[in-house]
This record gives sequence, structure tokens and C-alpha cells, in this order.
Amino acid sequence: MVRLIPYIAKSLWRHRTRSLLTVSGAAVALLVFCVVGSVQQGLSELTSESHAGNTLIVFQENRFCPQSSRLPQDYGRQIEKISGVRQVVPIKVFTNNCRASLDAIVFQGLPPELLKTVRQLTLLQGNWSAFEGQQDAALVGYDVAQRRGIVPGQKFTIGGVTVYVGALFRSEVAAEDNLIFTHLDFLQRAKGQQRGSGKNDVGMVTQLEVHLNQGVDVDQVAADIDALFHSGPVATTTRTKGMFQADTLSDLAELIGFIHWLGYACVGLVLSLVATTTVMSVQDRIGEHAVLQTIGFRPFQIFRLVVTESLLLSLLGGILGISFGLATLWWCGLSIAAEGVTLSFQPSWLLAIQGTIVSMMVGLLAGLAPGWQAARTEIVAALRHA
Amino acid sequence: MSLVELIDVCKEYANGEETIRPLDGVCLDIEKGDFVSLMGASGSGKSTLLNAVAGIDFVTSGHILVEGTDITQLSRSRLADWRAAHVGYIFQTHHLIPVLTAYENVELPLMLLKMSAAQRRKRVEIALQAVDLSNRANHYPRQLSGGQEQRVGVARAIVTAPTLVVADEPTGSLDDSATLQILELLVRVNQELGMTLLMVTHDPEAGALAPRQIRLEKGQLQELQVTEEDTPTSPKSLISQIRSYRSA
Repeated sequence: MVRLIPYIAKSLWRHRTRSLLTVSGAAVALLVFCVVGSVQQGLSELTSESHAGNTLIVFQENRFCPQSSRLPQDYGRQIEKISGVRQVVPIKVFTNNCRASLDAIVFQGLPPELLKTVRQLTLLQGNWSAFEGQQDAALVGYDVAQRRGIVPGQKFTIGGVTVYVGALFRSEVAAEDNLIFTHLDFLQRAKGQQRGSGKNDVGMVTQLEVHLNQGVDVDQVAADIDALFHSGPVATTTRTKGMFQADTLSDLAELIGFIHWLGYACVGLVLSLVATTTVMSVQDRIGEHAVLQTIGFRPFQIFRLVVTESLLLSLLGGILGISFGLATLWWCGLSIAAEGVTLSFQPSWLLAIQGTIVSMMVGLLAGLAPGWQAARTEIVAALRHA
Repeated sequence: MSLVELIDVCKEYANGEETIRPLDGVCLDIEKGDFVSLMGASGSGKSTLLNAVAGIDFVTSGHILVEGTDITQLSRSRLADWRAAHVGYIFQTHHLIPVLTAYENVELPLMLLKMSAAQRRKRVEIALQAVDLSNRANHYPRQLSGGQEQRVGVARAIVTAPTLVVADEPTGSLDDSATLQILELLVRVNQELGMTLLMVTHDPEAGALAPRQIRLEKGQLQELQVTEEDTPTSPKSLISQIRSYRSA
């Protein structure tokens, strides 16, 4: 069959307009498939990252937007006394847009010494001391920097918060590439000034991130924390980090769950598109296939010729769509954020392989019926028809 | 044993309530190296018989033995393999693959046989040389004249050195000049390459070129008597004979 690839390629090129339209249709559909897949992968990674099940997030009870959750930072010291708790990290979160947005900027203020231990960051440009030594300095995630054209050494203002860029980083958790880390007290003060009350938010945080020892009953500790503050000035809701992120993004998750059907619909679209093109091609070449059979091609070889043709169309379109889609996602570093939690579009080699396999499967399926039709052609009748 | 043996071959099909029987107990022997022309009126079943011998049409009953193999008993796949190895088919309209060059069209049947690329190249070059089209090897069918296309068709039919070459009205769609070229070529295929040739034609002048002539009428074969004087001995004399027919 390999020897006949030039013949198949020439046959496709003969009807180049039809072939190119089919290839471009398949490319667009696979591009959508990849985008949908990358969002799903981002969501899945966010809710199942290694620390997601062993880390708790303490949030103000009945609050969802980080702007409205205000917990006393002092809660951290009380939580540290609970059995099984290894470390408590106070975090101030600020976002310029609490609603779902493709370009929401999320600041997280943490004590620098804790940031270094609880986040696995790789600095790409700039250095740690530039961040640590300057109060208004920030570590900017690579994807935000890419989208906004931010470079180390510059100052920028978003949502009324002005920071100096100490360094750019990449994180082990892709969603964190869309965050901007600042000093905790800097963000507390900046937020207070922004309220215009003359006060600042020093001593108040948005959430507390509680790291537990291995083997601890996570649910029990969460219940203990909520019980501790149940009658305090601010009641809390404590969930695992994965559950917290899933809850926060629940509306988006539903939407993503729905659009994954869109991905399947695209696959169905490619299937019918490639099948239609292949059927048309077979009907155009009934006589040609009869000649091939007369020369000595077996019916199964004719079947394979047609299926290979369909496979090539689908695969070519698929590879183009996947390459373009994933390259664009890699380059743009797209993310979607809601309630201060960012969900990163996750292009990956796995997705590229999945897309390629889907293209191949679609090409094979689309070629089955036309291939069967071509293989069953009665030679003499087809020659007369030609 | 004859190269081709047809034993009581019948072919019938229904046309409304009427049963058509183009082949009705046909018996025929073709020896190795024979050049047989099969003539008859339009619709007499000539092509049906040719297609049955070539293994691309099925008969209702009877047996067709080629080199001892009863091809009526072969499955579709095995019949395809048999055709690849044993039959060269020359169509009325050349039926070249339009997206392939003359060279690639001739090479196509060799793709089905086990041979190296070098062996294929050598065979294709010889076949194209035999039909005097070496200088058109890289031309596509649309860039060739009708006669040249048919010569490529002949090269494609002989390139595998088949047991039997069948030609279905090979000059039916050609002008006089191209017809003469093709007929000369067929005679050379038979005389110089020693290939067995079965040619269907409705043209008595073309049919008269063959040393053995058969007529199909009402589903039955009639052997036409050909005298020694009628049989030319070389392609050139054959062609001059046709020219004399035409000028007369």
C-alpha cells in the first residue's frame, strides 16, 4: 500500500478544491476539539493536583468572591495548634474581575519566606532577591507576562495595584502561571488604600492555606477548624484545595462539561465531512476502480485504497488543526478565571496524540462505507458506466 | 493441452420477462501463441465472452480453463491475483489513470507482483520502448494523442508478460492512422513477443489480421476458414494488407 501512496496523493490533488475544503474543515473541527480538550485538561489538573487533596483552604463562611472573604490573619496561629496541621499560609487575594473572564488578573499576597516553601516556582527572568528585597515587588506568572507584555524591572498597575516586576516564573501547577505573587503586607495595605477608608487590610487575609501532615484525616481537621471559629467573629468554611477550586469554578465546570459535547460534535462533523468527500470521490472514479480490478487489484486492496485516501484527508486536516490550536494555546497562555481561581488552558503532547488518534479513527470510519462500495463494484458494469 | 479451454460456457441474464443468452454452450480452444480475432454483430456477446475469459465477468455455467486452472471456480480475490499474473487487458477506450504519467500507468500492474523497484523500472522501460513511447514516459494521458494513449494501454497490458492478452475493440475509438499503429503493435506483440492474443472486433478488416478468426452468432461460435494465402507473415505485410483493404 505504501507504494501506492503517490497515486492516492495525486488522486486527492486532482480534486484539490474539494480536498482542501475537506482538510480545512477537519482542521477547524480538530482545533475546536483541542481547545475544548485543553480546558478540560486544565480543570482536571486543577482539581487533582498533588497537593489538592492534602491541603485545606479556609474561607469566610458563605462567601465566594475573594473580595468579600475577610479572615483575621491571627486565625492561622490557632489553626497551627490543631493536631495534624504542619503549616498555615495566610493569603490575600485580589482580582480585577470576580466574574468569569479570559483576562482576569489575580494577585496573591504571601509572606515571601512561605511562598518559597509552598510553591514550586522556577524563575525564568529576574531573581528572587529583587522580589524579596523590595516591598512592592511581584513575581509574575509567565502566561500573564506573555499576555500583557510584562518584563522584569518594569512597573505596572492593574486594578489600582501598582507593582514592580521582580521576576517572571513558571510553576509546576500550570494554573499558577496566571498569578501574580506579591508580599502579603504590601497587598493588604494596597487593598486598604483602595477602599478609600484610610484604613488598610493589615491583619486581614482572604484565605488560609493549611498544609497537613501525611496520613491525617483531612475531613476531620476541616471540621475541627470550622468548629473552632463557629462562634468567633468570623465563621469559616474549610474544604480541601481541590474541592475549594472545584466549588469556586462550579459554574464554569458545568459549562466546560457542556462544551465537551461540542468537541464530540466536531468529531462527528469531521466524520460526515470526510465520508461525504470520500463517497463523492468513489462515485467519480467507479470506472477507475474497475480498471484497477481488471489489472489485478483485489477488492480488499481497492477498499484499502479508499480508506487510506479518507485517512489521509482526515489526518492531514487533524494535524494542521491540532498543530495550529496547540501552538496558539502554548504561545498565548490563555486562561479563564472566576472568583479569583484561575483555570489554565492546558495544551499538551497527550492532547496532540489524542487528537491525532481521533483524526485517524475518524478517517478510518469515514472510509469504511465508501471503501466497501468501491470494493463491491461489478467490474463490467462499472467499465460500461465509465 | 490448450492454453485456454472453454467447455460448454453459458451466460444468461433476465431482461424483464425475457431471458437473454449471449453465450449458449460455447466451446473453444486457444493454443499458446495463437492470435484469435472474435467477431460478430453488436450485442452478439463478443465482449461478454472476452470478459469471461479475462476473469472479469462470471458465466452462468460451464468451465473456463487457462493453463489448467478453472477460473470459474476461483473466489473474487484469487481471481484478481490470477488476473494480475496472467492477463493483460487492452480496453476499447484506453482507460488510463488520469493522475498518473504514462510510466506510472504502465508500472501499475507490476506493483501487484513481487519484484524490486529496479526490476519494475527495467520492465516499464522495455514496454514503453516496445510501443515506441519512451520519450513520452513522463507525459500524463491528457498530454497524449488518442493513439498514444492506446499504445500506453498496450504497454500496460504486456508489461507483466501475461499468459494471455485480451483486447476489446482496441481500435474502436481511434482514427485510421492510429488504428493502423495499434493493429501493427498487436501483431508484433503476437509475432515478436509470442504472446497469445484474443481480440474482439466488429471491424472485419482488423479481424482478418488474425490467423484464426471466430464469429459469435446467436450464442454459438463459428470458426471462419482462413487459407494460407490470407495469412500474412510479417507485421509489415499485415499493415500493407490493411492499407490495401482501406484504399480499395
